[in-house]
Amino acid sequence: MYILSSHEIKQLAQELQASHEVYGPQVDPQTQQVFFDQLTDVAALNLEAPIPSMPVKEILFPQMERILKYRYDSEAQSVTMSKQYFEKPKVLFGLRPCDLSGILVLDRFFLGQEFVDDVYLAHRRQCLLISNTCLNPFPQCFCVCTHSGPDADEGFDLDLTKLQDGYLVKVGSEKGQALADAHQWQLASPAQLSEQKAVVDHCIDLFPEMATDNKAWISRVMNRITTGFVKQETWEYIGDQCLECGACSFVCPTCSCFNIEDTQTACGECERLRMRDSCSFEGYARMAGDHNPRQPVEDRRNKRFFCKLSYPQSKKYLRPGCVGCGRCQWVCPGDIGLPNVVQYIRREITGGQN
Amino acid sequence: MANCHGNHEHGNCKTTGLCPIVTFPEVVNIDEIRDEIPEVKTFYLSFTNKDVEREFRIKSGQFIMCTVFGAGEFAVSLPPSPENDRFHISVRAVGKVTNALHALKPGDKLGVRGPFGNGFPFEDIKGKNIIYVAGGIGLIPLRSSIVHALQHREDFGRIILLYGARSSQDLMYQPDIREWQQNAGFETFITIDRPEEGWTGEVGYVNQLIEKAKVPVDNSVAFVCGPPVMFNSVIGEFLKRGMSEDAIISTLERLMKCGIGKCQHCAVGRTLVCTDGPVYTYRQIKTLGEQI
Ligand SMILES: Cc1cc2nc3c(=O)[nH]c(=O)nc-3n(C[C@H](O)[C@H](O)[C@H](O)COP(=O)(O)OP(=O)(O)OC[C@H]3O[C@@H](n4cnc5c(N)ncnc54)[C@H](O)[C@@H]3O)c2cc1C
Ligand code: SF4
Ligand code: SF4
Ligand code: SF4
Ligand code: FES
Repeated sequence: MYILSSHEIKQLAQELQASHEVYGPQVDPQTQQVFFDQLTDVAALNLEAPIPSMPVKEILFPQMERILKYRYDSEAQSVTMSKQYFEKPKVLFGLRPCDLSGILVLDRFFLGQEFVDDVYLAHRRQCLLISNTCLNPFPQCFCVCTHSGPDADEGFDLDLTKLQDGYLVKVGSEKGQALADAHQWQLASPAQLSEQKAVVDHCIDLFPEMATDNKAWISRVMNRITTGFVKQETWEYIGDQCLECGACSFVCPTCSCFNIEDTQTACGECERLRMRDSCSFEGYARMAGDHNPRQPVEDRRNKRFFCKLSYPQSKKYLRPGCVGCGRCQWVCPGDIGLPNVVQYIRREITGGQN
Repeated sequence: MANCHGNHEHGNCKTTGLCPIVTFPEVVNIDEIRDEIPEVKTFYLSFTNKDVEREFRIKSGQFIMCTVFGAGEFAVSLPPSPENDRFHISVRAVGKVTNALHALKPGDKLGVRGPFGNGFPFEDIKGKNIIYVAGGIGLIPLRSSIVHALQHREDFGRIILLYGARSSQDLMYQPDIREWQQNAGFETFITIDRPEEGWTGEVGYVNQLIEKAKVPVDNSVAFVCGPPVMFNSVIGEFLKRGMSEDAIISTLERLMKCGIGKCQHCAVGRTLVCTDGPVYTYRQIKTLGEQI
């Protein structure tokens, strides 16, 4: 483990910019909103900014992306195709651990099953991930319950923790080690290692009680969902509040449903677009002949929470499908973000108490 | 294969034993188009890349994602037998993409990804009687299996087809059916919904043929494909006769976008029709907890 000054951290970002597009958290000076976006000037990189409102999956799995371009000439009956991938490698600099875990969930889903998703793989191969330990959890955070924060323990190339003087840097991959070797970074002292631990422990103490009581808070609910014991009334109650806006899926670092459409552009070119979709939409499963096998809204809600919280699902991804960022709670106009759903189901289990 | 994503050994895909075309389509030529029944045409296809063609092998019950350039992609069954049939698909024009397909002519090109899906469990049913039950275009996904079974006639007991359509005009694959009817090793029972001038065959719904065919229940498997109403009445009849829920096999249809277990459009219960299906036993379907 190494220790770098704040200045060296900025230098690293600066240097990576020569060969990579560098993305990182920045605060809009006018609105104070936090975005995880490409940095034109590394001076704007703000490693202490609160959690960005949009997850970083935007970069690996954008809201809409063109995956194929083709031209069909019906006169000549000929077709030319070109696959579309992004060209320049990217650095995601200063990821929240919850967002890093979100990428791990997407990795296991897109790459780790029967079929590999070529488009995601091509993007992912070109990314360098630098995570950043959270120092102050936000009111909606519950990553301690989902094993995804406030510090990162896997999946990063480099991991940073801000200490009294400088940043402690952990190396998590060969790519990361190559950077450390090339720069001959200074090794951290034992005192700095224990300081890092203290920083993380302090952060965990700041979580609200529900989140620190971590085993019971979410695992009992997971058990309940997996075994199918959640009462139909509870699902209906949850379903009734859903307005089907899709916002929860779009802000969730782990939601990955998508749609594929071919469109024609003005110049006779066609594009195959894939765009994120949400399993809560009513037309999501509608088939030819207007046959829709999944109508009731509580079925669709049920599906999303099953996807986030059931054991079979967790087993597949080796971790829960929810990373505890709480973004769905921020955006849901119906008050059924995941933390609230957990709360509703807990109430059912405990008979009224939290 | 050209578009193999390189993750599994070339030619060694976990699902099919062969490497499918996964993310991007390969181009095929439309060699010939035949009118099948009203709204349904059969398209005979061949790959423009002959290397791909050599490696493209299917199992009955699988499907492909077919691109109509400029219009989009849709899921379609593979009616040819895995052995020596011409590569073809039969498609009903119901919407945007399938109508665009129907407007094409020989020489036009399509895109193909696949084959995907689990396929029918041929290994497990050796020595058994096979009962095929189809309604309308439900014969499309079963055709591959029928031709395959007849090519391996000695592996099975009785092979019976119960097929029903709205009218004689709506009977799919009539040249095939005529050939099958002459095949002594294959019992075919055909019915149409209402009487028709010149029709001397059966009239009524397909479930009524079960009695007529004296369908054996022991040591039999039934492959059932058709509209949900037909499906439910046929299954009811089989169960009443004591057929096991594991011996009734069907294919599910869902909206499909990726075909490879990623987009989640085809999720049913805890399974995905594109990778866990489309072939399911009735026992599985029952536990999925969703409409057919
Ligand atoms: C495994 C599998 C195998 C299949 N095999 C075959 C086969 O062998 N042959 C075959 O013909 N078909 C087959 N199908 C069905 C085929 O995939 C569909 O008919 C096809 O996708 C329809 O595409 P489309 O773009 O033409 O229709 P779309 O334009 O998508 O629409 C079809 C119809 O759906 C309804 N619809 C769709 N969207 C909406 C909406 N937003 N609002 C209201 N109504 C809507 C309308 O009634 C519309 O006419 C198979 C499907 C699966 C899953
Ligand atoms: S969920 Fe955890 S890792 Fe994510 S922002 Fe909150 S405290 Fe940080
Ligand atoms: S379900 Fe909600 S809390 Fe969990 S990862 Fe998604 S957006 Fe974050
Ligand atoms: S954000 Fe809330 S209202 Fe919107 S789809 Fe999600 S659960 Fe439903
Ligand atoms: S079609 Fe995309 S998951 Fe099945």
